[in-house]
Amino acid sequence: MTMTTKRFLPFLLALLALSLVPSGSAQTPAAPAAAPAAAPAPAPKPITDADVAGAPVPTADARAKGDPDGSLTGTASDVTVTDAKKGATIGDVVNQVGQNKIAINFVWTLVTGFLVMFMQAGFAIVETGLCRAKNANHTMMMNFMVYGVGMFAYWLIGFAIQMGGVGAVANLGGTPPLNSEFTITLFGKAFGLWGQNGLFLVHKGTYDVAVLVLFLFQMVFMDTALTIVTGAAAERWKYAAFIISSFLMGAFTYPIFANWAWGGGWLANLGANFNLGKGYCDFAGSGVVHAVGGITALALSMIIGPRIGKYTREGKPNAILAHDIVIVLTGCFILAFGWFGFNPGSTLGASGNGSLRIGSVAVNTMLAGMAGSFGAMLYMWLRYRKPDASMSGNGLLAGLVAITAPSGFVNPVGSVIIGVIAGVLVCISVEFVDRVLKVDDPVGAISVHGTNGLWGVLSIGLFADGKSNYGGSWNGVNGSVTGLFYGDNGGQLVAQLIGIVTLLGFVFTLSFVFNLLIDWVVGQRVSAKSELQGLDLPEMGALGYPEFELKTQA
Amino acid sequence: MMILIGLLVTFLGFVISVLSLTLASSVGGRLVLVLLGLVVSLFGIIGVLNKHYLKNAIWKKG
Repeated sequence: MTMTTKRFLPFLLALLALSLVPSGSAQTPAAPAAAPAAAPAPAPKPITDADVAGAPVPTADARAKGDPDGSLTGTASDVTVTDAKKGATIGDVVNQVGQNKIAINFVWTLVTGFLVMFMQAGFAIVETGLCRAKNANHTMMMNFMVYGVGMFAYWLIGFAIQMGGVGAVANLGGTPPLNSEFTITLFGKAFGLWGQNGLFLVHKGTYDVAVLVLFLFQMVFMDTALTIVTGAAAERWKYAAFIISSFLMGAFTYPIFANWAWGGGWLANLGANFNLGKGYCDFAGSGVVHAVGGITALALSMIIGPRIGKYTREGKPNAILAHDIVIVLTGCFILAFGWFGFNPGSTLGASGNGSLRIGSVAVNTMLAGMAGSFGAMLYMWLRYRKPDASMSGNGLLAGLVAITAPSGFVNPVGSVIIGVIAGVLVCISVEFVDRVLKVDDPVGAISVHGTNGLWGVLSIGLFADGKSNYGGSWNGVNGSVTGLFYGDNGGQLVAQLIGIVTLLGFVFTLSFVFNLLIDWVVGQRVSAKSELQGLDLPEMGALGYPEFELKTQA
Repeated sequence: MMILIGLLVTFLGFVISVLSLTLASSVGGRLVLVLLGLVVSLFGIIGVLNKHYLKNAIWKKG
């Protein structure tokens, strides 16, 4: 025992003795020996309209003097009343509470959607930085116009296919017009295939505030999937082919799979119909957004072929260096920032139905990104003796991609494990795609988004901890999403695997067919002369960096 | 022709995984069938389609 402890021991004992004395015993008189039985508490007086109407409000004089400390702003006088003569009623107050909840959720969903939209800037500079300077204008323009092309296609038909039959979205107040899903009966169960309401955002009552909020949020997700493809096909993709391919993806490929997973389609109902966990789960889109983008990138890259000079005649890959690693890593940071919209925003609200999980979702997101960057940096450092910058950036993105699906269902430890595996996986996958498949992917999009999108989908079936509770059920099945490591019987894992095979077997096939048709009709690839010159002048008519002296690389 | 075969094999993997929902009722049985579907789809992509494109790769033409 130290001297300090000895000195304070009597004091601590006195404090302990004091703490055991019932509080207030020194001041209050002793209780009578036999207290009478407590009388039943009177029933609470119901609040009446008169109480509400009589709630104190600041006077006009007080308000006219200003409100520097904010205590007079936002009071009973701000409750919207239906009858000014009667004043505020209980009904008015209850309606105001409901509207406040939906308002919070609208603002949350819109602001997080704005963050996701800003990710387009991150993708644009990551991809452009990883390409050569002679293609800067072309790569930037693809990333710029994919926003408009995708949005146009999605507004015309994509949103209706994806969400036209989603039914009620409680956090946004219902979205009742989105109530028509085309289904077929298979194995005695209804299989939802596509939505039917919402064309042009006016069809069948879809000119609706909640539907429009949902459209904005879903639209920026769809555009993220589209912009993944531009990186994989960069430096050799014909601009006209890019426009057509992006339109078809925004109109059909993406929305169909998104309907199956998020729009009330058959994958989401694997739990309700076939007792496979909570059905296919994908909280924010590792599968719906990233794997769809990455797998489409793989299909297109196979069709379009590698860049001239990427492989020797013996098939040995050559490194084609990024022209600006500074903007690559800056872009990675922008993407990591936008991801705080991507994942936490996928609650579609901050109030009600377990939406306070947004804190957990946000922290899981940042942890997995951190773990991914460490995983990739350490892998490259150990394998190649240098902590490669572009792969560290890809590791960050890989961790973020992988945590996107499970972010709402796992705990922080699970997030770090998922992230670090993603960081290593992206390096191995890049090497596999480059050296074994010999598919040229200038930015690593297939590995970052495709491979790790699939890993994120799978990880739910393993790491979901059964603690999330979004209104008591998920995909119409009561309870929390639970993975194999937390006591599930494997049904959730099977549901996730069916999602993965759907991505590889269906989405890949559809993407391949679309892009093959484009190749036959307009051609996917620029001429060898244009490719060697750089696509800025032949395709776009202007150089990205007109004051640079560019070397022609054979 | 190889492209068509590759696409059919890739799609077949998807069909097998969907059929697992009715061909097996246990989780284990479905897991086996879904994994089979996964292998078939990957074979279609890597073993058929990619192999076909590598045969005519631009770098082999010199």
